[in-house]
Amino acid sequence: MANRIQINKEFVDIMPQDYLDLVESGTFESPNRGWKDFGTATELIAEHSLCAGCPESIAFRHIMASIPNPEDTVMVGSTGCTSLVFPMIAVHNIHSLFGNQNAIATGLKRALAVRFPDRIKDVIVLAGDGATVDIGLDMTLQSWFRKERFTTICFDNELYANTGGQESGLMQKGFLAKMAPVGKRFDKVRLPEIARESGCDYVAIMTASKPSLVEKVIKQAVLIAREVGPTYIQIYTPCILEIGKQSMEGLQEMRTSEAPGERFKFREFISPEAQSFLDGLAEKKKAEKIAATT
Amino acid sequence: MYNVAEVNAEACVAQKGCRLCIMYCPEANCIQLDSQKMKAVIVESRCKGCELCVVVCDAAKHNAIKMVAR
Repeated sequence: MANRIQINKEFVDIMPQDYLDLVESGTFESPNRGWKDFGTATELIAEHSLCAGCPESIAFRHIMASIPNPEDTVMVGSTGCTSLVFPMIAVHNIHSLFGNQNAIATGLKRALAVRFPDRIKDVIVLAGDGATVDIGLDMTLQSWFRKERFTTICFDNELYANTGGQESGLMQKGFLAKMAPVGKRFDKVRLPEIARESGCDYVAIMTASKPSLVEKVIKQAVLIAREVGPTYIQIYTPCILEIGKQSMEGLQEMRTSEAPGERFKFREFISPEAQSFLDGLAEKKKAEKIAATT
Repeated sequence: MYNVAEVNAEACVAQKGCRLCIMYCPEANCIQLDSQKMKAVIVESRCKGCELCVVVCDAAKHNAIKMVAR
């Protein structure tokens, strides 16, 4: 179905310019979406209210540019800094109660499968580390145990940034925050390993410092979630205010944290089923390329 | 007073394929590519003045962006 994103001719003269831009030069229904559209196409995210230089907004931009079919995607968000951005994105989204985002996504995915049996519908959960690991851990894990087919993305900033810097499960051991002056006594929760053991078919841990890598991981995760099973991505998006950095230092902070031996060095786990699915996709792409050149 | 980024079109090397500032700007639709001149252009009303574009441009030794007061 081509050209599904259209504007009613009766409304063209009263719609805001941003909306018209999105319809005319947005990247809906483009088969090769990616960060390369930046600068020339209208992005599916508009002026948000995150802080200047926030690494989370870099990650958000890269994710919105990479999701494979935005016109058929529903995103589920949760309370936190991400909920400041969700009203500004051009993809259907649901704001869940704090912590139950994976439970909502479960119901949504099943309902969409019943309502639209012959159309691909992706569900993507995007929440902070508080919602994913502390308050919503029950819902997160149960959805993986049940092998629910959607992608869970965790924006890991290692504390509760929105409320002033309280200790979270993903905070590193010994870290001092504004509202956690004693320092954390326990290790950072190893959620990627837990996800792997809980039944996720694809797990990745990374930072948002390389757009091409974010694009590749998001596309793989969404496609695997569509066909094989649950997927989990943990992206380091440091809160520059809470770790005491300037607005222009967020990128360097991410690069430092992904150096070899550091806690956010890129790692991914692909289950054998997911690997054979990816191999199939790669072969298909190769065949298409050969067919196009001959 | 509010600081926003400004691109020096002579120093910008977007015509050679550089997209660093466009890639790393945290604001959506804030740095655009002028497809005729092939230079980066800042949409000032969207710029929050974080200086990340200056950092990545200077790190690549292009030095094409500087902050100006508005």
